[in-house]
Amino acid sequence: MTAQPSPPAAKTGARFRLGAYSTYMLLIPGLVLSVIFLVLPLAIMVVVSFYTTAPSSTGYLAIFTIQNYVDFFTSPQTGTLVLNTFSLAFIAAIIAFIFGFPLAYFLTFHIKSAALKNYVITLLIVPFLIDWSIRTVAWIGILGKAGIINSTLMSLGLIKGPLEALLFSRNTLYIIWLQTYVVFMEFPIYLAMNRIDPDLINAAKVLKAPPRHVLYDVVFKLSLPGIMAGFIFVFVSTLGDFITPNLWAGGVQTLGFSISRYSNNFLWPYASVLSTMLLIIALIILVIAFKVVNVKKLFYE
Amino acid sequence: MKVLEAKNLTKWYGKEVLALNKVSFDVDEGDFFVLIGPSGCGKSTLLKLIAGLLDYEGGELYLKGEEVKTIPPHKRDISMMLETYALFPHMSVHDNIAFGLRMLGKDRSEIDKQVQESLKLVGMEGFGKRSPLELSGGQRQRVALARAIVVNPSVLLLDEPLSHVDYRLQRKLMEELKLLHQRLGTTFILTTHVQEHGLSLAETLMVMNTGVIEQIGKPETVYRRPTTVFAARFVGDINLFSGEVLEKRNGRYSVKTELGELQASADEGEDYSGRKLAYGVRPEAVVVGKDALKCENHLQAKPANTYYFGNSVECMFEVRDGIALKANIAPEAVALPTGGGGVTLGWHAGDAILIEKPSVIEGLNIEEVIYGK
Repeated sequence: MTAQPSPPAAKTGARFRLGAYSTYMLLIPGLVLSVIFLVLPLAIMVVVSFYTTAPSSTGYLAIFTIQNYVDFFTSPQTGTLVLNTFSLAFIAAIIAFIFGFPLAYFLTFHIKSAALKNYVITLLIVPFLIDWSIRTVAWIGILGKAGIINSTLMSLGLIKGPLEALLFSRNTLYIIWLQTYVVFMEFPIYLAMNRIDPDLINAAKVLKAPPRHVLYDVVFKLSLPGIMAGFIFVFVSTLGDFITPNLWAGGVQTLGFSISRYSNNFLWPYASVLSTMLLIIALIILVIAFKVVNVKKLFYE
Repeated sequence: MKVLEAKNLTKWYGKEVLALNKVSFDVDEGDFFVLIGPSGCGKSTLLKLIAGLLDYEGGELYLKGEEVKTIPPHKRDISMMLETYALFPHMSVHDNIAFGLRMLGKDRSEIDKQVQESLKLVGMEGFGKRSPLELSGGQRQRVALARAIVVNPSVLLLDEPLSHVDYRLQRKLMEELKLLHQRLGTTFILTTHVQEHGLSLAETLMVMNTGVIEQIGKPETVYRRPTTVFAARFVGDINLFSGEVLEKRNGRYSVKTELGELQASADEGEDYSGRKLAYGVRPEAVVVGKDALKCENHLQAKPANTYYFGNSVECMFEVRDGIALKANIAPEAVALPTGGGGVTLGWHAGDAILIEKPSVIEGLNIEEVIYGK
């Protein structure tokens, strides 16, 4: 009478193994896609960067050389290019944070009604329903010579002629990037903040923390996973954006734009060198960023 | 000396919910003050109000003689242990406890020293480097307690500190809280919805009921002399009957109840003659068997049900159709007749409790409150 009951018959070993296989099989489509469209092109790019440029200056010869990299590291232009590209992207990410963090904070802690919350979130998404080019060109109406800002300032008599620098400068670029990418910063922070237990804020308050410490020691630090995610989204997106800087930043030279120019002229090996270096530097920065902000601590749950 | 004074405190949630309705009370310095009441009675709200986490709409609140309405939580000489413990997940146990000291601007060596001391105080030495996420419920609670104590407040607020741990741990922590209170001499204000915790921890007990105070007093007083039916019911178990006082003679009342005429001791100077009130007797005061005949009140009843608790037995009796009476007796005393036989129950007039009011809430009918809705 004391024999152990037998386990339920339905869960046989065979079925269980099949289940394990089918779980892995779910990975296959994604794996195939990323090999064909990510790993392979990147490998080709790196290989081409070691090819020799054809004498005709169009196309390449499959002869191994490191001359392209020597050119890259010795070119007087390289420093400016790299600095421009990364400083623009970095500053854009910082600006997105400066605007995105308070926005996320407001959305999380100050808007109590769920309906209003959804309304604000929808407003933030609406610009993405409009095409990129239209969204960008629309800035002419605001920042252009006859745009809202210039005409307002002129009619108020504050300036005599229209301000040229409003439209074609780095500032313009930052404004446009902010408008485009602030949501990519704001949403991850919003999601991270939503997970903060309000009692942690209460605990900080009763433990003598003045408002600025509540904000920094609790809200900011617990939003760090979101901030990091947002930072990477904005940084990587602006790093790869070569059209906007070229159109709006008054001829700022960036790696992205150089890559497009070299490849337009069929100088594939040098374009590949620039692309490879852009990728490597970006990866190094991200690795350092993840090291500085202890990632293991961030994703504690 | 009074460390905390509340006068007519009123708190609304929106326009619908009146969480606190003109609550007034004092807390003496060094007291162990326990707020007890069912969930939703406003005790947590009151605690958050004292801490400054919530604002109040009406009345005054004085901490050491100073009105605190405009003082933000971090500037009040108060610390609080929250119901959820709310340990910072991104900080080690050490940093959690050090947080308050850091905010007070203490220097590092001083902070380290005090953190070590408070870890020792709650029996958590050597846990400083751990993450709160690696700790068990009881350990988290100790850390939360250490974190609240270390800032050395005049008043320590403890919101339901015993509600999230198992029974054995509750007992242990109750003992420790009591010892800690004796050792520190700080004023403790604690909330609980469990009557045993309230009765055994409190030096002063405050019974709350949906935004009002039913009774404040020493636990013995509240238990033996409840002033309202609600307080009598919430603190301890009680048999209650609606009654009318017929007369007072020789220091005793005769009260007409559905069980017949019952006796109750009268205090000097009071006279309830002719009043409608509640007649109560605690289950442990009810005597079963022959000895019952020696009591001033005795009657015949049929045993209905027994519940065995190890150290005592709770017996339900049916006195008459539908009228039940509960008695708590020692296990060895139980020799209840089976097969429909009767038994004698009794209690002394001195054990009877007369309660004038159903609740401090006005306009309630005492009979309706006694016999339920």
